[in-house]
Amino acid sequence: MSDMPQPASGAGRFTLFPRLSGVAITGILIAIFLMAFLVLPVVQVIYVAFLDARTGAMTLQNFRDFFNTSLFRESFVNSFYVSAMSVVFATIIALPLAYITTRFNFAGTAIIQSLGFIPLIMPPFVGAVAMSLLFGRNGSVNLLLDQYFGFKVPFMEGLNGVIFVQSIHYFPFILINLSASLRNIDRSMEEAAQNLGSSGMRMFRRIVFPLAMPGYLAGAALVFIKVFDDLGTPLLLNVNTMLAPQAYLRITGVGINDPMGYVISFILVAFSIFALWASFLFMRGKDYATVQKGGGGLSKRDLAPREKLIAWAVILFILALVLAPHFGLMLLAFGTIWSFSPLPDAFTLQHFGTVFTQSSQYIWNTVLYAGSAAIIDVILGVAIAYIVLRTGLIGRKWLDYMATAALAVPGVVLGIGYLRMFHGVQLPFGLGQMSSFWGLIIVALAVRRLPYALRACMAALQQVALSLEEAAESLGANKSSTVRRIVVPLMTGGILAGFVTSFATAAVELSATIMLVGRASDAPLAYGIYLYMQSPAGRGAGAALGILAVVIVALGTYLSQRIIEKDRNRRAAAPGAEQ
Amino acid sequence: MKKLMLTTALALVSSAAAQADTVVVVTSFPQDLTNPFKVAFEEAHPEHTLEVVSRNTNASVAYLQETRGSNTTDLFWASAPDAFEVLKSEGLLANVDISVDGIPDDVGGYPINDPDGYYYGFAASGYGIMYNTRYVAANNLPVAREWDDLIRAEYNGHVAMSSPSRSGTTHLTVETLLQGDGWEEGWAKWKWIAGNMNTVTERSFGVPDAVNSGSTGFGIVIDFFGLASNASGFPVELVYPSLTAIVPANIGIVENAPNAQGAKDFVEFVLSPEGQRVLLNPAIMRLPVNPEVYAEVPEGFPNPFSEDFAPGAIAFDVDTSGARYNLVNSLFDVMITYRLNDLRAAVAAIQAAEAVHADSENAEALALIAEARELVEALPITEEESLDPAFAGVFQISRVSADIAVVGRQAEVEQAWDGFTVANYAKAKELADRAVAMR
Amino acid sequence: MKKAGIRIEDLHLSFGDTTVLAGIDMEIYPGEFFAFLGPSGSGKSTLLRAIAGFGPRPKGRILIDGKDIADLPPWKRNVGMVFQSYALWPHMTVRQNVAFGLEERRMPRAQIGPKVEAALDLVGLLHLAERMPSQLSGGQQQRVALARTVAIEPQVLLLDEPLSNLDAALRVQMRRELLSLQRKLGLTTIFVTHDQEEANTTSDRMAVLDGGVIQQIGTPQELYDTPVNGFVAGFLGTANILAGHMNEGCFVTKGGNRLAVDNYRGTASRIVLRPQSVSLADEERGSIAGKVTHREFLGSQIRYLVGTEDGEIIVDTLHHAGQSGHAVGADVMLMIDSRSASLLD
Repeated sequence: MSDMPQPASGAGRFTLFPRLSGVAITGILIAIFLMAFLVLPVVQVIYVAFLDARTGAMTLQNFRDFFNTSLFRESFVNSFYVSAMSVVFATIIALPLAYITTRFNFAGTAIIQSLGFIPLIMPPFVGAVAMSLLFGRNGSVNLLLDQYFGFKVPFMEGLNGVIFVQSIHYFPFILINLSASLRNIDRSMEEAAQNLGSSGMRMFRRIVFPLAMPGYLAGAALVFIKVFDDLGTPLLLNVNTMLAPQAYLRITGVGINDPMGYVISFILVAFSIFALWASFLFMRGKDYATVQKGGGGLSKRDLAPREKLIAWAVILFILALVLAPHFGLMLLAFGTIWSFSPLPDAFTLQHFGTVFTQSSQYIWNTVLYAGSAAIIDVILGVAIAYIVLRTGLIGRKWLDYMATAALAVPGVVLGIGYLRMFHGVQLPFGLGQMSSFWGLIIVALAVRRLPYALRACMAALQQVALSLEEAAESLGANKSSTVRRIVVPLMTGGILAGFVTSFATAAVELSATIMLVGRASDAPLAYGIYLYMQSPAGRGAGAALGILAVVIVALGTYLSQRIIEKDRNRRAAAPGAEQ
Repeated sequence: MKKLMLTTALALVSSAAAQADTVVVVTSFPQDLTNPFKVAFEEAHPEHTLEVVSRNTNASVAYLQETRGSNTTDLFWASAPDAFEVLKSEGLLANVDISVDGIPDDVGGYPINDPDGYYYGFAASGYGIMYNTRYVAANNLPVAREWDDLIRAEYNGHVAMSSPSRSGTTHLTVETLLQGDGWEEGWAKWKWIAGNMNTVTERSFGVPDAVNSGSTGFGIVIDFFGLASNASGFPVELVYPSLTAIVPANIGIVENAPNAQGAKDFVEFVLSPEGQRVLLNPAIMRLPVNPEVYAEVPEGFPNPFSEDFAPGAIAFDVDTSGARYNLVNSLFDVMITYRLNDLRAAVAAIQAAEAVHADSENAEALALIAEARELVEALPITEEESLDPAFAGVFQISRVSADIAVVGRQAEVEQAWDGFTVANYAKAKELADRAVAMR
Repeated sequence: MKKAGIRIEDLHLSFGDTTVLAGIDMEIYPGEFFAFLGPSGSGKSTLLRAIAGFGPRPKGRILIDGKDIADLPPWKRNVGMVFQSYALWPHMTVRQNVAFGLEERRMPRAQIGPKVEAALDLVGLLHLAERMPSQLSGGQQQRVALARTVAIEPQVLLLDEPLSNLDAALRVQMRRELLSLQRKLGLTTIFVTHDQEEANTTSDRMAVLDGGVIQQIGTPQELYDTPVNGFVAGFLGTANILAGHMNEGCFVTKGGNRLAVDNYRGTASRIVLRPQSVSLADEERGSIAGKVTHREFLGSQIRYLVGTEDGEIIVDTLHHAGQSGHAVGADVMLMIDSRSASLLD
């Protein structure tokens, strides 16, 4: 990326109304979209942090109050601690999985690579409910421990519980990025170390891990930010001395108009952007994977029988842990009454019956919203990737920065910002209030998931040799038909990967949508689960809906994965398609 | 894409026009409550369709405030009377004449309907203690029947409640004790109960959820949570302490309702014996306000109109509650919710000290314990201050009038309270620990 | 340091159905500069990697200094290897790269410093010690890789196509440097290459591999002059291989030409004629008639392809300034010096 042509700003010919190229118009339209649906709504929320609550004058008093309040300082420290520890535990989970699957010929590789993705496609709060039933104070595990060994382990108490749930939910970010990085390490890197007398953990620590650092760091930064901003899990576990819950409690509290909620929102956004920026800075110039010539990825070796046993044990243990929420959800969905006992009292299909008769609209809404959002994401993703990597448009990198910054915006802040910004706006055609129009949910989802699709499209475009485009242009194709007929088809795999990630994660999103759902008939799955889970009789039905959500998303993911595989094979057969 | 969206939008518009007689209700109630009413109502009035918009109470109020210019909502349907008071004072509710035959004026000392006729109570709710029978049996605990029971050391770590700032119903419970026992007594009681808690949940439903799953033994809940859980088959029971407040859950017609007739029909349906019977649905389990319905309730179903129900019920003072609404919430959060760990540590230490010196005559130790108890119970503000508009205004930025001099910013005030509270709890723990050491 | 010899005994290796090494036996003498030469897929790299301990364990024995190391993991072999891609770790400076192996041997810090500097000095890069690998040119990277390997004072130095990533001029310079370094250190060295010129110019002896089998071992000159089969003959330099049979001390080609040979071999069916032992001659002195079909100007020489009854024969003639030589299509007579030619079965 560093060797891209510099913007043609030096040309110096300035005209009042420059004739804009198609690229420029596209760039401007994307910038307007991002301004309207990301930057301005967020600014709408966080500028309150700078206002005196009574007089409406600009002030920094609120920030002084924030830092003078011991509760907020403590919350900040707690948020930081929980995020950092979640990264540590997510690493402990992801590292063995990534290492074993990339480094050895291991029969379980396919299972891990697909199951490893599953935790991401469950709404975090649903995971927390299921985890409480399994690991809570009187959850299955503790009841059994107490019965047979006479002690309990406080898995889910306080900050530890948050760390536990978050690391299990978000570790796939590290797994996916780290595996990709490990696969890109030239095998001679490792062999050279062995040749010089290094082996085992020592070699991993000194050579393999540092080389995989860029991928690891990208994943770790994501986990850190996600945990730092996440609201649902701490709220469900009743942990309130953290920043995101404090912001939420203060913004949505009964009749309270406390500016501190907005101060905290500002700090959440600023700190997340800082974390992103820091990880970018750290990674700059360290993209080792592409430095090497020739050679394949890490050499895979066979495991000795004893090693194989250990590997399976480690992997099964980790999989049992990370799939525990799904297991708990299954029990809940098929169980009748589950109270103070290791397993439900009996099993039934009744909850699924309830869901199918009452709640099919949630499913269709989810497919419509998440699908549309993912389509918008890949369109924007391809356009931004092309503008950033292949054109000299002035300020093109800012499109990338803006879109990526969506990662740093907590869903609640975006949701509140939309309410603020679009409440008074009446839509034509009798669609009513813009803030309660379901289309806005799609836009919110699209903005929230754009960074995922964008990264996938960027990666895909980087793999398309420039010469392939030049060949098309020298044969007379103009820019737009080159993009349409050469670039996009060659990016198919990456675009689909982006679509899948956006779709799967949008389908379970709740934090922004909960603010925007206008009526039950417009609600997506995650909202429906949330509604069900608010009543005693609805717990089983909510869980059944949760299982459906996981199945739908998993199916979508699987199908797209098949298409990506096919595309990859087709391309492997055609040399020159990849650099 | 755009074209597709446009076509879909147009299709939606035309379908909306076809069903002109839609009654739109904004509610904080769960589907378990709204669905049976929708079904029963649409059956009784085939000319109407009920459209339910689910939001929590606060969001509903904000929604009605923000959309007043182009109101599309016919009805507001929720528990907390405070929310209706706010809407009424802002002129967002319509004064419609509804026939309320057979429904008495008050239940348990609380007026059922708004005297001015802006909203109507349709179901009564009391507050109670919900407990998990399996949990209680496994831990050999007696059933706690009164608030005072929950203070006892044996319940340490077995109790849960939700924060009053998150749940209007919990707020009413907190305020009921403050009014029934007095400001200082009431707070002291809450702190000793909270010292036995394992969690203060952020959602009101978090408490019944925790009791249902058995992660906690006792929960302080609004009655229908307990009744509905019991009716759904969970091994839980609900008891009403003698000091409780009976408050109605309400329904009101929104000013300028697009379908005023439909709205009126729905309110009348809900208040009719037929509608009232829907409340007995096992998933709902709220107390009907029409005494006639109690003739057909199952054995053991609580009847708030009977003589022996909650003999200590107080006449709830809505004005006092309203004047310090946010202040009480904030004080609860500062002293209990956010500092639960400190409070629990102090209370556990005092309970340990009291156990050690249960029969001892060690005057010094008893003095230390007494001092520690005082520290835990200490309050940063008096009842007079709590009702002083200058103080209350700190928490009511939007509604404060210009002629009241407010004493400070919320963050400032809360920080002062927090410092006061944390220091007291730490000191109390230290004193109690010293008393324990003097065995 | 004692110079170590290498013995390889009956080494077999296959990947699935594909045989990669089929019974390799050889001996490399202490202090020798030895080359593995062969086309890609011949098994030369696999053999080298087997000595270093990479890849699946082959059947057979690999002895270094008399000890069988075939069961040792790579990190216990004390065999230094320079990789084709150099495999410099991009996250470490030059100094850190070179120090790595010493650190892994738990050498005290005080000794590591001087050793690293000595190794870098040896390759003339001491002044670049603090650079990152990405800031070095290809030749410099190559030297760092070499320094990193010799720093650990291995018993044996393995070079896997070390020059293939360099440009032509640098390649010639580096191979001289490699050789002088090897002579200075006296390290037993194995050099893998597919380039016969590299092998010829550097190695004391070499092994030509094809299809996982050693075709011939010997000094470059032996292999060139007396190849044991057509593959070796063709792979080392350009060769005309004519079919025929022996008759009364002469080799009679298919086309009926009789070529006198010194080393008589009754079973021979082919003869190897180097292009420089064939010349264009006058009508009366020449023995085989042909027509020039192709002509290449190579600077010091002109190479002709001449069509004859025995097929196309390559002829190299010295070029002298001002001479134009023969044109394509010209009828020529070939004179063959077949006395020293090799005969193949």
